[in-house]
Amino acid sequence: MSDRLRLLLRLAVRNIRTQTRRSILTGLAMVVGLGLLVMSRSMAEGGHEDWIEKGVRMGSGHVTLQAPGFAARRTLDYRLARDDLEAVRMALGDSSVAPAVHGYAVRLELAGLASSANAAVPVAIVAVEPERERRFSELPAKLVEGRYLVAEDGLHAFVGQQLLERLDLDVGSRLVLTAQDAEGEIAAQLVRVAGVFRSGVPETDQGVVHIPLSTARGWLRVEGSATSVAILLANSRAVGPATRRLERVLADRADRVAVLDWKEAMPALHAAVRLDDFADWVFHAITLAIVALAIVNTILMSVLHRTREFGVTRALGMSRADTGTQVMLEGLVLTSVSGLIGIGVGLGLTWLLFRNGLDFTFLFEQELEMAGVVFDPVIYPRFHVSQILWSLGFVFVIGVLSSLYPAYRATRIEVAEAMKFE
Amino acid sequence: MHGVQGGDRAAVRTEDVWKVFEHEGIEVEAVRGVDLKIDPGEFVVLAGPSGSGKTTLLNLIGGLTRPTRGQVWVAGRELTAMSEKELARLRLEQVGFVFQAYNLLPVLTALENAEFSMLLRGLDEEERRRRVEKLFARMGIAGLETRRPGKLSGGQQQRVAIARAVVGEPALVLADEPTANVDSVTSEGLIDLMAELNRELGITFVFATHDTRLMRRARRLIKLVDGAVAADEAREPVGPGNGMGGPEAAAEPGASPGEE
Repeated sequence: MSDRLRLLLRLAVRNIRTQTRRSILTGLAMVVGLGLLVMSRSMAEGGHEDWIEKGVRMGSGHVTLQAPGFAARRTLDYRLARDDLEAVRMALGDSSVAPAVHGYAVRLELAGLASSANAAVPVAIVAVEPERERRFSELPAKLVEGRYLVAEDGLHAFVGQQLLERLDLDVGSRLVLTAQDAEGEIAAQLVRVAGVFRSGVPETDQGVVHIPLSTARGWLRVEGSATSVAILLANSRAVGPATRRLERVLADRADRVAVLDWKEAMPALHAAVRLDDFADWVFHAITLAIVALAIVNTILMSVLHRTREFGVTRALGMSRADTGTQVMLEGLVLTSVSGLIGIGVGLGLTWLLFRNGLDFTFLFEQELEMAGVVFDPVIYPRFHVSQILWSLGFVFVIGVLSSLYPAYRATRIEVAEAMKFE
Repeated sequence: MHGVQGGDRAAVRTEDVWKVFEHEGIEVEAVRGVDLKIDPGEFVVLAGPSGSGKTTLLNLIGGLTRPTRGQVWVAGRELTAMSEKELARLRLEQVGFVFQAYNLLPVLTALENAEFSMLLRGLDEEERRRRVEKLFARMGIAGLETRRPGKLSGGQQQRVAIARAVVGEPALVLADEPTANVDSVTSEGLIDLMAELNRELGITFVFATHDTRLMRRARRLIKLVDGAVAADEAREPVGPGNGMGGPEAAAEPGASPGEE
């Protein structure tokens, strides 16, 4: 660092220290602003991650593999054949992919009709490998009566509570599932209700039926096939790299096996997360703008009170650029010190919330659902190093932006006029 | 009378310099057609009543404000054509300033204030410290290096300000009422000091003042009236710093301390 810059920095630091009360008050605004930013970002990250985790467990996984066109048409014409599924199983065992995979579920999904003697209701039939699904999906844990499917089950079904009520059935009752088979023929299958779930998501509770995959394959004449393989990863941040690796490993089957991430597979959930994230950032932007204005005010007042001093330094040979740099440094030092303290405070608050989370139960009289996912009213923070980097970036940007105008004012001072300033 | 004739070796030269201020739609001619030539090593006082244009002329010479018309040369360089950056550089390298209110930077120590210009010029620390310590010792303020201005008396502050002005060995020191805020004893001491520095280092001093004590010590007295030069006289200085005395200086008309 040059002697000149060291002098400007010394002037900046000492001027901040001289105006103790003003600096502390402004610094506090920054501490509170950055503290809130870090904490609320951690909570938002935690909330979103939980939201996505629930969504992918209830739905298509972080990444889903399916035949191209299935997402739009959802018929058995677009399914993964036996050799495609074998290739997928090998890909999931590939050394570049396997470490990231926490689990997967093979499914056959199609639209159908569930009917009883009393009613007929359109449903999504999801044929699953029961043991694998139990580890993957949250739905088995939402059991309210009976039991979830087991490997030995044949003509059994796991249905939503509201669907059961609409069909006026009970656990142990029989219902008929009707769907179009692989040949395009309408096929019906009689199954017995093994268990009932209540997810809290009306669409799911009214319209989802789980049956064993082996049963569906025989019923619909699609032996060895499935419509999707849902893959669970450690978290949503692993989606990008895992998707790219899977695409690379399955490149030779790209025309038969499409790799979709959860954003493509569940656009409604993605849109909901983005909307919530956007609202968060608007809140942060308003908070930080208020903090920046407080800093602008402090530095500008400081500049205006020191008009004579700036006149003197200019008379002594300091250039306009030096004067501007000095004021910019004051802003940057003030925001950096208070910003770092704010980040520390934010991390401290986040750390306190790691154990018990933040309980919003008092806000919700009943379960709150959005985009097919039920909110957990207790939100746990999630911390990433990138949050620190973002926060440091904000500190720098606020420091620069809030000092620009005061620095400009300081450089515009007319020396001779400034010398008359009392 | 000193005129504008002379070579470019003059410390200061002005040619038909005017400064017109506009205040609430009314034009005020603060400096009117001043022609001056001040040679290197001169000890010059600009005298005159309040509003006579002393400070404005000093500011024009120091490049702190630009003339409405006319030209100003300092150390052979014409100021009016210079950019702000060039003017700042000229002030840094060629001109020292002493102000009535000392104007030390309150957040810097006496030593840091004194070395301010040298630091901006990029002199190394050893050289800066050597010069400041030598000057402080000579000025009787050794030991005050680490004190901030708030912990110094008025006289001590003005000594530090003078040290700041001369320590970089400028061609010219411009001093605006340098003795106005100190008592008579301190004032005499400061004048002695500046006269010594002028004599021994050859630095040109130009003062704007009401102080008759300072006028008595001037070797040239330029009287300003209504922004124009009314008289420009070479004088025999009076006082202990010069080892000379004379009754005429004490009787200088139109100027007395505290007249402002």
